[in-house]
Amino acid sequence: MRILIVEDDGEAAEAMAKGLAEAGHGCEISADGLAGLEAAGGGGFDVLIVDRMMPRMDGVTLVGRLRQQGDQTPVLFLSALGEINDRVAGLNAGGDDYLVKPYAFAELIARVEALARRRETGSVQTVLRVGELEMDLIGRVVRRCDKEIDLQPREFQLLEFLMRHAGQSVTRTMLLEKVWEYHFDPQTNVIDVHISRLRSKIDKEFDHPMLLTVRGAGYRLEA
Amino acid sequence: MRLPRLLRTTPFRLTLLFLALFAASASAFLAYIYIATAGEVSRRADAGVSREIQSLDAVYRSGGFAALNQAVIERASVNHGFLYLLMSRSGAPISGSIAQSPVRDGEGDDWASFMLTETDADGAVIKRPARGREERMGGGELLFVGADVGESQSYVVKILRALWGAGALVIVLGLAGGVFISRGVERNMASLNGVIEAVRRGELDARATLRGAGDEYDELATGLNDMLDRLQRSIAGLRHAGDAIAHDLRSPLTRLRARLEAAMIEADAGRADPRAALHQALDDADGVLRTFAAVLAIARLEAAGDAPNQAVFDPAALAADVAELYEPLCEEKGLDFRAELTPGLHLVGNQEFIAQALANLLDNAVKYTPSTGAIMLRVRRRSSGDIEFSVTDTGPGVAEEDRASVIQRFVRLENSRNQPGAGLGLSLVSAVARAHRGGLELDDGPGAVDGSGPGLRVALVLPKNG
Repeated sequence: MRILIVEDDGEAAEAMAKGLAEAGHGCEISADGLAGLEAAGGGGFDVLIVDRMMPRMDGVTLVGRLRQQGDQTPVLFLSALGEINDRVAGLNAGGDDYLVKPYAFAELIARVEALARRRETGSVQTVLRVGELEMDLIGRVVRRCDKEIDLQPREFQLLEFLMRHAGQSVTRTMLLEKVWEYHFDPQTNVIDVHISRLRSKIDKEFDHPMLLTVRGAGYRLEA
Repeated sequence: MRLPRLLRTTPFRLTLLFLALFAASASAFLAYIYIATAGEVSRRADAGVSREIQSLDAVYRSGGFAALNQAVIERASVNHGFLYLLMSRSGAPISGSIAQSPVRDGEGDDWASFMLTETDADGAVIKRPARGREERMGGGELLFVGADVGESQSYVVKILRALWGAGALVIVLGLAGGVFISRGVERNMASLNGVIEAVRRGELDARATLRGAGDEYDELATGLNDMLDRLQRSIAGLRHAGDAIAHDLRSPLTRLRARLEAAMIEADAGRADPRAALHQALDDADGVLRTFAAVLAIARLEAAGDAPNQAVFDPAALAADVAELYEPLCEEKGLDFRAELTPGLHLVGNQEFIAQALANLLDNAVKYTPSTGAIMLRVRRRSSGDIEFSVTDTGPGVAEEDRASVIQRFVRLENSRNQPGAGLGLSLVSAVARAHRGGLELDDGPGAVDGSGPGLRVALVLPKNG
C-alpha cells in the first residue's frame, strides 16, 4: 500500500513513515500543504495522511481542492485539535477519518488500513462473508457453519464492523467511535467486555477462534 | 503642524463645520435681503419721481412755462424729499433746488444715480445717495426731478450691519460653545481612554467609572466594562487551563521517566529484560495520553464557558445508550445494574459531553463497588423542571467532609489508590455540569448493608434550558 504523509513536523513524519514501512507500506512525505497537493495530484496513493495545520496550505483546504478535482483517495486527518467542531469540519471537507494527536501508533496503522480496505470494497454488499462466518445485512441474520447465532443489535453492529475490517487490527477507540459513536475513552475496559460477549457467541462452540486479541492494538477478526 | 488637542476633537470639528454652513447660508440670506430691500428703495424712489414729473407735466400743459416755473420754485422751497431743476432748451438752469443736472449729456431720459452733497448745521459735509431723471417738456424745456433716497438707503445699511453683527456674534458664541462641548466630550472620553490605556499596559483590572447619567457615555462605559470582564474571565480560564495541563502532565511524565531510567540501569547491569520495561513504558505513555485527553477536555470546557454545540435531545435515550455500553461490564463484575429512565423528557445540551459525564460516573461506580453490589442509573425530572442524571452505587461512598475535594482534579481518596485512573473523572463531570450551568451533587447511597456501603449517589443536575 502506498501512503502519502502530508505533515510539516519532519521528525513526526519520518517516525510515521518508518513505522508504516515496518508494517509493509511504502510512504512519501510532503512537508507542506501545497507540496502535498502536488504530490497527491500525481496519484497512485491508497491513503493520504494529512495534518490539519500546515504552512502554505492547511489540510482542510488541501483535501477540499483534491475532492474538487474529483480525487477520492481516502484521507485520514491528523490534528492537535480534538474538539467535535474541528472533527466535523475535517470530515465535512472530505476527510474520511480523524485522529487526534497524540495517538498510539497501533491506532494510526489500524485506521490507515481500515481506510484502504474501505476503498477496495466499494460495491454495496448485502451479505458479508469471513471464512465460516456469514452475515445477511438485510435479514439481520448471522451464521457460522450454517448455524444461526443470536445477536443483540449492538453486537450485530460490532460484528459487522469487524467483518468489514476482517484481517485487520481494529482498536478499542475505533470501535467506540464507529460502533457507539462516542469520541471519548472510558477509563475502564468496557469494550473488552462487549468483545468477550460477542466472542462467546461466535467462537465458543466452534473448533477455532476467529475473534483474536492483538496485544497493544486491539482486536482482529480472522477467517 | 499639530493643532492643539482641543481643536482636533470631533465635536469641535463638527462645530466648525456647522459654523461654516451657518456663515454660508447667512451670507446668502443677507445678500437676498439686500437685493430685495435696496431694489425696493430705488423702485419706490423711481415711482415717486415719475409721479412728480407727471404732475409737473400736467401743470405745464395747462399753464405753460410760467406755471411750471412757478410750480418748480414753489415745490423746491418746500423740502418734501424731491430735488428739482428746470432748464432751458439748451440746458441752462432756470430754477430749482439744485444747481446742475446730474444727468450727463447723451444719456437721454435715462435714470441717474448720484451723490447729493449737503452741509449740515455743524458745517460737516454729508453725502447722500439720490436718484432722478430728466424729461423734455412740450416746449423743449428740460425738467429734472430727483429723489433723495439717503434715508431709506441708510436704513437698509443699518439693517445689514445689524445682521452682520448678529452673524459675527453667532460665530463667536458658536466657537465658544464648540470649545465648551468639546471639553465636556473630551473629559468623558478621557476616562474611557484612560481605562483602555491601562488595559494596554496590562492592568486588566481597570474599569471605567459610571457617572450615573444613563447617557451614551455610561452605555459605552458599561459595554467596555462588560467586555473587559469577559476578557478577564476567559484569560483567567486559559491561564488556569495551561497551569492545569502543565501540572497534570508533569507528574505522570516524571513517573514514566523514572521508570525508564530505572529500567536502563537494570538492563545495563544485565539484571532485567529491557522488553518488559518497554512494555511498561508504553502502558505508562498510554496512561499519559489518556490523562492528557481528559485534562484537555476539562480545560477546554472550563475555558469555553457555555458548552458548544448544544441541541435538544431525549436524556433517557442518551442514558440508555451509555447504560448499554456499561451493562456487560457490570454483569461481568457480578454487579446488579439497573436503569430507571423517565421517557419523554427534553433537555438542551451537548450530548457528547453529557454522555462522557455519565460514562465517567458509571466508570467510577463500577470501579468502586465491590462485586455482588448494585448500580442504579436514573434519569428523572425534578419538580423544579431541572433534569437529573444520577448514578447510585453500594460501594464505600465518600465521607461528607471529602465530597467537595473529590470533585477537584487528581484528588483520589486513600482507599482508591489501588484503582486505575487519574482522578479526573468527577472533575470532568463537574466541568460538564458547569458548562451547562448545572451542578453536581454527592450524597450517601442506599446505606450500609451487610458490611458494605453506605454507597454513593452522584447526581448531575442540568437546567431544562441548557
